[in-house]
Amino acid sequence: MKSIQLTLLASALFIAACVPERDFRPHVQGGDAERGRVALKELECGACHVIPGVGGAHSNVGPPLENYSRHSYIAGKWPNEPERLIAWILDPPAMAPLTAMPKVAMSERDARDIAAYLYELD
Amino acid sequence: MGPRGIPHRHKALFIGIGAVALMLIGAIAAGVILLSGAYSTSATKQHFWITYRILELGLEYSVNAAADELPIPRVDDAQALPIGHACYREHCVQCHGAPGIARDDLGRGQLPSASSLSQSARDWPAQNLFFVTKKGIRMSGMPAWEFRISDEGIWSTVTFMKRMAFMTREDYAKFDGANANARCPRPTKAEPYTDELAKITLRQYACDNCHRMEGIVGPKTFVGPSLENWPQRKYIAGVLPNTRENLVRWIRDPHAISPDTLMPNLEVTPEHAEHMARFLLDDR
Repeated sequence: MKSIQLTLLASALFIAACVPERDFRPHVQGGDAERGRVALKELECGACHVIPGVGGAHSNVGPPLENYSRHSYIAGKWPNEPERLIAWILDPPAMAPLTAMPKVAMSERDARDIAAYLYELD
Repeated sequence: MGPRGIPHRHKALFIGIGAVALMLIGAIAAGVILLSGAYSTSATKQHFWITYRILELGLEYSVNAAADELPIPRVDDAQALPIGHACYREHCVQCHGAPGIARDDLGRGQLPSASSLSQSARDWPAQNLFFVTKKGIRMSGMPAWEFRISDEGIWSTVTFMKRMAFMTREDYAKFDGANANARCPRPTKAEPYTDELAKITLRQYACDNCHRMEGIVGPKTFVGPSLENWPQRKYIAGVLPNTRENLVRWIRDPHAISPDTLMPNLEVTPEHAEHMARFLLDDR
């Protein structure tokens, strides 16, 4: 009896694994997610955002960035895709003058790497 | 000692174990059927005959048991017909049709398909029709209308439906001709606040399709920002300080505050917006 049940359970799990992955998954060409994680910490993004995997990033001033690769939109205004996210990270007020998110001095590479890290948040 | 020398209490134990094992096998089988995709969810595949009849019966009993609890608004009969027709024309005929008028495309592809009201209006007491129209039917195409139409409007719609069951094609056409300018009244008041009512309100404006919220069962959505831990958040939409007053303003007219925002204006009434804001800002 037990082996039948285990077989059924195993086959159920096997079948369940067959649901397709997300069709669109954003990815940053040439981004280094690990460098991005370090940059997020050093630039103190956690002073405003919850960011999993970044030490001390538990603040709720801005929106939480959990599951960021799944978010549909950036800042509630633009479709969430790599080039827009990089532009947003580099200079938010340039895209949304009223936003409370400040422009933080960083290199374009930093922004790319940060985007790469955020897109690893499933 | 029972027959074959098994003590009675042991026999009960064996039956108990057997029952639990059967339930377990049933649950696993159901899981396999679900996860293998063998259970069809398409709108072209009808339920089995027996399933359909059981659901139909369940609906009738469920509505009948709950319908008496709803207070019926007072509406003058002379007013009820034009108002009811306006509501019917704006919100019902699309899926249910009318005497001599076909339901449109939206009302054809659904499963279950919307009932023909000429029969429902004959069979069902007005109180039950009022309940179904106000509260909708879960997992069917029938929405709850209480957040779109005032109670007086819904009762008027029922009054009109009752009359419609005895209309010729010409009778109905006369209403469409003479009453084209009447409007269906939207809700003007809300019940006093409770957490439960606030949750219903948030779901009835479909907030849960874009935002995840504490204590609300809904899709795992990432369209808009999660509103979990909302009381701790400092800004609304990244621009407004998170106060109750601002939150109500934002919910009612997001574009007035942030013209480019993708959050739509859902025409939330002031009372409903107050309920939503209170629920979201409540530190549970």
